[in-house]
Amino acid sequence: MRRVNPAVEGKTYDPVAFEVTEDRVRAFQHLFGGPPGVPPTFLTAAEFTVFPQVIGDPELGLDFTKVVHGTQEYVFHRPLRVGETLMVQPRIASIRQKGGNGFLVIETQMRSIDGEAAAVARSTMIERESAR
Amino acid sequence: MSGRFDDLRVGDEIPALARTVTREDVRAYADASGDQNPLHQDDDVARMVGFDGIIAHGMFTMGHLGACVAGWAGDPRNIERLSAQFRAPVFMGEQIVAGGRIRSVDATNRTVVAELWVTVTRDGNEEFAIRKGEAEVRFPDPADAS
Repeated sequence: MRRVNPAVEGKTYDPVAFEVTEDRVRAFQHLFGGPPGVPPTFLTAAEFTVFPQVIGDPELGLDFTKVVHGTQEYVFHRPLRVGETLMVQPRIASIRQKGGNGFLVIETQMRSIDGEAAAVARSTMIERESAR
Repeated sequence: MSGRFDDLRVGDEIPALARTVTREDVRAYADASGDQNPLHQDDDVARMVGFDGIIAHGMFTMGHLGACVAGWAGDPRNIERLSAQFRAPVFMGEQIVAGGRIRSVDATNRTVVAELWVTVTRDGNEEFAIRKGEAEVRFPDPADAS
């Protein structure tokens, strides 16, 4: 059986530039409403610019057809600004096996072009032993 | 909003926010977020993994929770941390209700930690689509406003 490879824990991937465009922010605002500003879960769009690198990493060996989203966290070091470019860099923070399931934590750093920390996203992906 | 922070107490509830989840909104969310997993778009794919039809992205449900928290916080910039645990799928046509309760108040830093959840009523039972969520919100001192 294919299992996520625990030796990949700690691996960092190349950063990718992500622009906080007005159009994209507006799409989130339009969908979810709330007060003006960048919606708090907007950074999921930034995560999805780098997830293909991680999910498709042959060294990681993740079977994405068995993956469900377990938990999500965003920590903001400062407010996000419409029009800014963030450098988005994921890292495999931890890999654990528990009760036949694999728990993969992807920690994604978001920084300004000049390196200033803006936010961190943490996603736990659960690779289930069998489909539901 | 002046003086609002001083009125917040442990145990206070965040006003609940309800919405009905539609196929069109989930489709639009896939485009906005970039998460094009067919589990959220193709009923046949969803049925292959044991669901009765497509389910909403967990992040769609959390996006709704984020709007609930941002509305209460007054400004999304006041949210310093937001987390969620995904516990149950949400199907098309279902109503989700986001809510929360203040767990602690830090008067020195003008921050509040709230526990968060999103419920869905299915077959007469209330289930948690999200539970054990948490938000840390800072309420700026109106005296510091520039």
